[in-house]
Amino acid sequence: MKARSVKGLDPDAALADNAERIVLVRLDELCGFMPKAADPAEVVALHDMRIAAKRLRYILEITGPCFGPYAKTATKLTKDLQDLLGEIHDCDVQVPETEHFAERLLVADAGALHETAAGADDLDPVLLKQAPHVRDHAGLAALQTHLRARRLVLFDRFLELWGEYERKGFRARLEYAVGERADVQRQQRR
Amino acid sequence: MAKAEDIDVTPDEPYRRAGARIVRVRTRELFDHAEGVLDTRDIERVHDMRVASRRLRAVLEIFAPCFPQSEFKGVLRDVKQLADALGERRDPDVHIDALRTFSKALTPANKPGVARLIEELEERQARGNEVLAAELERAEQRGLRGRLLALADAADVDDPEDAVPAAAEEPVA
Repeated sequence: MKARSVKGLDPDAALADNAERIVLVRLDELCGFMPKAADPAEVVALHDMRIAAKRLRYILEITGPCFGPYAKTATKLTKDLQDLLGEIHDCDVQVPETEHFAERLLVADAGALHETAAGADDLDPVLLKQAPHVRDHAGLAALQTHLRARRLVLFDRFLELWGEYERKGFRARLEYAVGERADVQRQQRR
Repeated sequence: MAKAEDIDVTPDEPYRRAGARIVRVRTRELFDHAEGVLDTRDIERVHDMRVASRRLRAVLEIFAPCFPQSEFKGVLRDVKQLADALGERRDPDVHIDALRTFSKALTPANKPGVARLIEELEERQARGNEVLAAELERAEQRGLRGRLLALADAADVDDPEDAVPAAAEEPVA
């Protein structure tokens, strides 16, 4: 996903003023994926939301100390969200990979049994135990079940987490915080 | 995982000065993690370098307007390419690690299939290591570290377009 461009950045202007513009665009990008990403079938939207969370996290990690105190909280919340979306993404990558691998072994076994039964009128089920990968299928089926179920569990957690962010005013509070300027001298005295 | 160095920033400092300072630190961190990164017995090394590459890439993108654009594009492309190569190695590392943990919870009858998949991923890990080795060599040949530092130097002067040090120029190869 290409990042939305940020207008009005000025290399000679203050860091905080430029960072504020960037954070507001990145925050808008992140929030813009909802409610679409709340549909479990919208895998691409969820993946793009993860990228948007990563971009917001990085700008906050670097420039968060320039802003009001909520920026620090928002950095942690954004990292938590990105981590969770990353776990879901791993499932989305590993489910088809595992399926593809299991399918390859099935096809190989079917081919091997076909050769074993060459000339027979039908395939004797007893021959199954001679299939080269006969011991592998059960574990791969267990893994696929686990990955699919884990994805469901993690997605429930994502909906719960995002709901909590909305209830606690994540967006509005961060928008307010980046309009504040930290008193760096006071922070350093502490 | 190695923690990134904390870099103090102040709200009023010029955007480009902050960018120059942060790029220097993140560049050093990236290349500090290069040692032993091809050793597949210690998967944390490639993880640390990958994280460092992501941080550097993020910093380059955040401070993009501060750099001379002609040099910046080539440097960013090379950092992305290195980050992708680190990902080629890291992705199977993570998957293998997760599968080994998962396998511990399985009944004996279910273990062979997962072990078979781990073998497949180890082959991918070895291929990823070859890709990474080639990319590290390429980064060295193209003087990526020097070009990154030259970009930072260019952002530290009043008009970046007036100060394009030789090391910032993209090699032809």
